[in-house]
Amino acid sequence: MEQIVQTLILGIALGGVFALMGSGLSLVFGVMRIVNLAHPSLIIAGAYVTYWGFKLWGIDPLVMLPIAAIILAAIGVILYKLVFEKEAKSAKYSEMTVLLTFATAMIVEGALGGMFTNTQRVTSPDYATDAIFFGNVFIPTGQLYAGLASLVIIGALALFLKHSRFGNAIRATTQNRDAAELLGVNVNFVGIMSFAIGIGLAGAAGSLVSFVFSFFPAKHWEWIAVLMSLVVLGGMGSILGTVLASFMLSIVAAFVGAYFGSTWSSMTFFLALFLILLVRPQGLFGEKPELA
Amino acid sequence: MSQLLEVTSLTAGYDDGPAILDGAHLTIEPGKVHCIIGPNGAGKSTLLKAICGMLKIRQGDVKFKGESLKGLRPDQILRKGICFVPQERALFPKMTVRENLRMGGYSLADKSGLERAIDEIEERFPILRERRDQHAGTMSGGQQQTLAMARTLIIRPEIVMLDEPSLGLAPKIVHEMFGIMKMMASEGITILLVEQNALMGLKNSDWGVVLDLGKTLFEGPAPEVLADPRIQELYLGGKKAA
Repeated sequence: MEQIVQTLILGIALGGVFALMGSGLSLVFGVMRIVNLAHPSLIIAGAYVTYWGFKLWGIDPLVMLPIAAIILAAIGVILYKLVFEKEAKSAKYSEMTVLLTFATAMIVEGALGGMFTNTQRVTSPDYATDAIFFGNVFIPTGQLYAGLASLVIIGALALFLKHSRFGNAIRATTQNRDAAELLGVNVNFVGIMSFAIGIGLAGAAGSLVSFVFSFFPAKHWEWIAVLMSLVVLGGMGSILGTVLASFMLSIVAAFVGAYFGSTWSSMTFFLALFLILLVRPQGLFGEKPELA
Repeated sequence: MSQLLEVTSLTAGYDDGPAILDGAHLTIEPGKVHCIIGPNGAGKSTLLKAICGMLKIRQGDVKFKGESLKGLRPDQILRKGICFVPQERALFPKMTVRENLRMGGYSLADKSGLERAIDEIEERFPILRERRDQHAGTMSGGQQQTLAMARTLIIRPEIVMLDEPSLGLAPKIVHEMFGIMKMMASEGITILLVEQNALMGLKNSDWGVVLDLGKTLFEGPAPEVLADPRIQELYLGGKKAA
């Protein structure tokens, strides 16, 4: 029983972090129809920003989080202007973005490797190695903080999307781009801002990742399949779906890891991706499949 | 009479495809209901999409109060006072009715006036108040069309363009939609209606415009167009029997 509770707790804590990692990806796809394979590489960029802030000036990763988010959001705007804006009218836009973002991921990886080498890094504030015990069950403090921070950020994102004027414009553009434009929304501007927010969320996720996992520039390849499985299970473009999928799959992965060994734990995500595409390609909350 | 909207030798089409409109012209007088009729593929919907900025104008011009709309985006043209309700009704299926109405007022500068305007709309269309927290996508076709038309009133537009508001609706509901349209017209809103059912469209309009193969064939007061033997032959023959 204790092991079940323990596994559940670890799964939930991990799910919180994955939820934040996936929600930016989901937002960008929902509004922009960009399948952003570079998302995990930008999460790693955010992790480096946080790592150096902590290493050089001793700034807590949770304090670095908004800074990393803003820096990455700015990079997002530049990236969009350079790479995607010209292609936005192409009929094969979504397919094209797969190639463009794949290339972007490699460029980001190369740049990070060139600047910071391929050494494994981890940000190590005191709480990252601490744990809170309840009898024999424990919660790693780092994962607890990361999970809570994720939920706060996703909660704020949900409130913004649901209740602010601009958030409504983003949702409207996701659901019906033409209609939003006919009602006076500058959909191109909404697109750029959503992309910036999505990449900003990657930066924020990077801050959390930096003390929950060890990382190096090429680590993003491991995550792309994980994040894709979350976004596909949730339904492409549905942020709520992505968040639920994150918790579901993380919990399952935690149990698989506990009972079959950690090698199989990461397999869970690949297997899930495979099964979802076979059984329910539109995911939990998705519309008809556009990419499956 | 002064012209509110003037379309001159307009050529337009989809993406890089052939020109659907090929020299169409149109003059819209304020306060009247104008109905564009014509067979399938005549370019009726294309004309509305070109006016509202969804399609690029290749040649010719669209002038609103003497000012060219060429090159403007749909969101900019809306702010001039021209609303377009496309066939698909332009609703946000996973947003509530109230949120859909709020999006209708997105272009308004006066945010405090928006909620009041929405309350007014709900007052006039009780069904929208009843369904305010329901997702728009879960409503019936007639309710969705009511929402799409009522939503245009929030910004007090000068011209409302309706692309086949009767599409897929039962006759009784169609009658209701034309009722809403006439009410809009009675408030001084100029209507530009595209209707597949020419007979019904013209009966509910002041002015008729006949479009074929991307060109304006002829136009005139709706009763005259309706009585014109060319129309009877070309477009109404089959329809009337049905």
